[in-house]
Amino acid sequence: MERAVQAAGAPHGPGIYEVEFRFPVGSKLMIDAAVRILSLVNQLAFTTRRVRLIFDEGEAGTMGYLNRMGFFDHLAREVEVGPVRPAQSAAAIYRGGNAGLVEIARINKGHRDHQLPGRLADAIGRGCASRPDIKELTGAAWTIFAELIDNVFSHSQTRLDGLAALQMYPRGDRLVVAVSDSGLGIMETLRPALQTSSPHLTGLSDLDLLVEIFRQGLSRHGADRGDGLKGSAAKAMKFQADLDVRLPNQRVRLTPARGAYAPNRAYCFDGLPLLWGTHIAFTFRLHA
Amino acid sequence: MNLMKGSNYLIALRDQMEDGQGWGREQGRQVFQRLLGQVEATPDCSIFQISLRGVERADISFASETLVELARRYRRVKGFCLVDLIDADVKENCEAAAARKGQPLTVWSDGKAEVLGPQPSQGTREALEFALQRPRTRAAEFVVEKPGLSIANASMKFKQLWEQGFLLREESAADTGGVEYVYSRIG
Repeated sequence: MERAVQAAGAPHGPGIYEVEFRFPVGSKLMIDAAVRILSLVNQLAFTTRRVRLIFDEGEAGTMGYLNRMGFFDHLAREVEVGPVRPAQSAAAIYRGGNAGLVEIARINKGHRDHQLPGRLADAIGRGCASRPDIKELTGAAWTIFAELIDNVFSHSQTRLDGLAALQMYPRGDRLVVAVSDSGLGIMETLRPALQTSSPHLTGLSDLDLLVEIFRQGLSRHGADRGDGLKGSAAKAMKFQADLDVRLPNQRVRLTPARGAYAPNRAYCFDGLPLLWGTHIAFTFRLHA
Repeated sequence: MNLMKGSNYLIALRDQMEDGQGWGREQGRQVFQRLLGQVEATPDCSIFQISLRGVERADISFASETLVELARRYRRVKGFCLVDLIDADVKENCEAAAARKGQPLTVWSDGKAEVLGPQPSQGTREALEFALQRPRTRAAEFVVEKPGLSIANASMKFKQLWEQGFLLREESAADTGGVEYVYSRIG
């Protein structure tokens, strides 16, 4: 997704008034990319640009999947969809019917969905049931998402909704949870907390900060977990989750070591097209 | 349902919540107000047991805004301890919240006390362990256990533990005619 957006130029850039996203025949979308695209598209519509989504395969392809995930339920009304916006929401019809997914949910202060962290945690509990650490993982998962989502509620300062969704990929032996915030919510919680706990870190860029947290989270084994993103990241890493964090112009992928001799890795990408907010994807193995 | 238990007062956290899930700051602040109401309704009581029975989930923010904040607000004056804390994740989140706010929280299970959050310093650790093994203690009693330790020194240790929120204390008249403090564990 990033390559395509980058190749096309920066949609949030000056002088851009129309943006078209084309999904060719055979394209497949992972849930985290879908949620980020939805965030980007809604951001662009919010800035009164004219936005079009063209699905070459129609309902038979990506559009059908996105409809099932509730993509169009949360898509800004002004966005044009081709060939035509789905008449009915498949998510609304089938919601909760598939144990391997949690449809895209909005995170909005005015509409608190009290069950959302529970739905995500329960889906992880079912999807990763083969893992020996499943009980700990399910409990931890609830805390991770409860904290992250609460931070979006508390600090977001934007009229754009946050989003959360989950999808299992049995053939890839993994489960992905995506949490998106188009405002300040997630990263903003990091810095004030740091001022007290680790003041020497406050001068770092957001990306360096994330890498540092990753490093600390792994070395301290949860001794100093803090709240918001820091605590969530540390907790997720205890369960060998991959973290993919998209920041406005950067992205970092944090991959904990799987074996005794493999190193933990952080992959950093810079100079990416602007995407407001913070967008996180957690990837958990179905079998530890 | 609140029960009188000796001089302790039991508050069921679940009764102050809409359901068994404690999530986030906003909900935490609402529940805090209800807890505060319970505390203010029993002004003579100085030690409260908060039962976690029925609380299935509680995140760090919720624990922070409710349990930890309550303990912090009344530090040195009233004490709050946790009972029926069975869920490991809830306990872990209470620990994180207590650590973050620098407010110790005593947890009781099977008659044994554990302190969540900040831990006593090297110099006061033994004094705290001593105090936790008995409902009330005086500096003079601790000195008996630790030869070589002066009363003044022992008093300082207990005073520190009181100031930091690990213990409560009451004034009483000393045999020598001065003021003596009786320190009590929380719960």
